[in-house]
Amino acid sequence: MKLSCDEVLAARLLGGADAMVAAHVATCPRCAAAMDGLAAVRAALADAPVPTPPPGLSARVHHAAAPLLAANARRATHRLVGRALAAALLVLPVVVLVDLRVVQAVYAALITILPAALGAYVVASWAVTLTALLALTYAAIPIVAERQATALARTIHV
Amino acid sequence: MPTDESLIAAVARGDDAALAELTWRWERPLFQFIHRHTGGQDVDDLYQDTWLRAVRAAPRFDPGRRFSTWLFQIALNLCRDWHRKVRPDPVDPADIDRMAADGASTDAGIDARRLLAALPEPQRAVVVLRYFHDLGEDEVAEILGCPRGTVKSRLHHALRKLMELAQR
Repeated sequence: MKLSCDEVLAARLLGGADAMVAAHVATCPRCAAAMDGLAAVRAALADAPVPTPPPGLSARVHHAAAPLLAANARRATHRLVGRALAAALLVLPVVVLVDLRVVQAVYAALITILPAALGAYVVASWAVTLTALLALTYAAIPIVAERQATALARTIHV
Repeated sequence: MPTDESLIAAVARGDDAALAELTWRWERPLFQFIHRHTGGQDVDDLYQDTWLRAVRAAPRFDPGRRFSTWLFQIALNLCRDWHRKVRPDPVDPADIDRMAADGASTDAGIDARRLLAALPEPQRAVVVLRYFHDLGEDEVAEILGCPRGTVKSRLHHALRKLMELAQR
């Protein structure tokens, strides 16, 4: 593979392809003439001092970033809670429908052995309990999701 | 050891330890990049702004990308904004002539900071990323948001200009 003059100059500055650069320079007067200038550039760049970060710079960054990190944590939690609630709400109609059918079936069975009023009372009590349990389950979703978000944020360093 | 990409994902979830790890890993390269790009002016502030912008944008970080490219891109954008606002002392090529004349030799008489400052910003960015940070053409192209061929041509023009300045 042959190098163009531009590639030769870049390779001389950045290093690499030494044999091909030497072969090119040997046959190219233009590049040969440019080598002195390039050597001066290389020397100047190589002598450039390496800047060192002052002590405490990263600590300053951490201090300034604290409110942003807190905002990120809040947003991440909200996203997780939102997703968990959306998933739970997606199945809610099915849960309610199944519960309704079960309650109807139990009521139909109960009134064959109990007076209708007593059967209605038992089934209503059961339905209220079921509803309360369902409400408690849905109320717990944000709390559990929030805890999970906190645990997730720490996962990487465990 | 967690990757930079997984650490920035943790930063997106508010993990301060992940940010500490990332700043520890990238403190020197980032500081040096900004220092060379701005000629050493307002480096601390630009360094801090880069991290703050990275933390703010962490939730939008594309996990398919390389973290270092993304971080340097943020730093470069801030440096460009800084150049637009501050307009640092323009380097007169005559200054370089004078320095070269004052010095015993061309090599000793020219300092890298002034040479870099004499380059237009797009060319300086390419030289800093390619020469000092040893990044490949593809990565530099991604950071600068330009095609690979543009990186090559900018480096070529930068070299011609640097050689011209160095030989005066």
